[in-house]
Amino acid sequence: MSVFSAILIGILMGTVFGFALEKSRVFEPGMIVGQMQLRNFIMLKVFLTAVAVGALVLAVMTSMGWASLHPKGALYVADVIGGLILGAGIALAGACPGTVLAQIGAGYRDALFVLAGGIAGATFYGYLDPVLAPLLKTWDAGKITFADSFGLPYWFLAVLLAVLIGVVLFILEKVSPWRVEMGADVDGDLAP
Amino acid sequence: MTGNIFQSKSWSPYAAGIVIGLLQIPAFLLIETALGASSSYVTIGALLSGIWDGDLSGNSYLLKHAATTGKNWWQVALVLGIALGAFISMRLSGARRKAISPIWARALGTSRPAARYALAFGAGFLMLFGARIADGCTSGHGLSGVAQLSIGSTVAVAAMFAGGIATALLVLRRI
Repeated sequence: MSVFSAILIGILMGTVFGFALEKSRVFEPGMIVGQMQLRNFIMLKVFLTAVAVGALVLAVMTSMGWASLHPKGALYVADVIGGLILGAGIALAGACPGTVLAQIGAGYRDALFVLAGGIAGATFYGYLDPVLAPLLKTWDAGKITFADSFGLPYWFLAVLLAVLIGVVLFILEKVSPWRVEMGADVDGDLAP
Repeated sequence: MTGNIFQSKSWSPYAAGIVIGLLQIPAFLLIETALGASSSYVTIGALLSGIWDGDLSGNSYLLKHAATTGKNWWQVALVLGIALGAFISMRLSGARRKAISPIWARALGTSRPAARYALAFGAGFLMLFGARIADGCTSGHGLSGVAQLSIGSTVAVAAMFAGGIATALLVLRRI
């Protein structure tokens, strides 16, 4: 596929992605910070639903031989240290690397600073990669999945994961209904 | 809540999550990769660095991300599309946003825009520095990695929520 076609497909997919992020309000700082302060569960609901649907479509596509999985390697040191720093950044940004673009599209001006800081942080890592990568790869378990380690077919565990997520979301929705979590201005701001 | 679903200000998180999950179909079929966002920051950063560091200091990581490949530029286009899609959705529903979300005045204990902008830059820096260490973000490790049952991605997502929850409870004030 040409780079031009890839860009065209990317813009089309991104537009759908951004549209869904905006409609779900998960891109709102009030939703992200609210999730991390455990006061609001819109982020978890969107995230887990997308994971369950993704697992189901991948179960079908891999079983039919239409696609193969591309799991990232399990580098436990990198995953834990990077994940902790990324999480701290998400809480203070009130955004994720993808949803910050939705914030910009919806009109949040501080998101432009998050974006600029993000480009700087990614570039900083890039220049440090020759030094950091050997340290981060000290505990490399390879591209393993739970299907590999349990010795079960991927499709079976993927369907099981989707069912489990369905049960969790059913209970979560009973405890904390999404319409209440939206807030008066659909931004997750639940202050009186 | 008037008009059709495109003009609605909010959808159920489950409807939106289904749409996002279905995006794995074109990602795997057409681009032969999973949804992700944070690599694109390296591509743009490397492109900008190239202005004053023409050969990117021979850094293979930066050169790999700056290469004119379909996967690199697909992801840059994807994140630009996210901004476009959110803009279209906002214009259709009329859910306009202020320059800064009202939650920040409470979370930070100050309503000075300069304080928020400075923190936003630092937060963005941390976010992508961490994402590149972990080799993925909420999309690549979260949506795609967990759906593929990747053990490394599951560990990364658990660490991400642990870091996020600790920071939001200890550093930020209650919103």
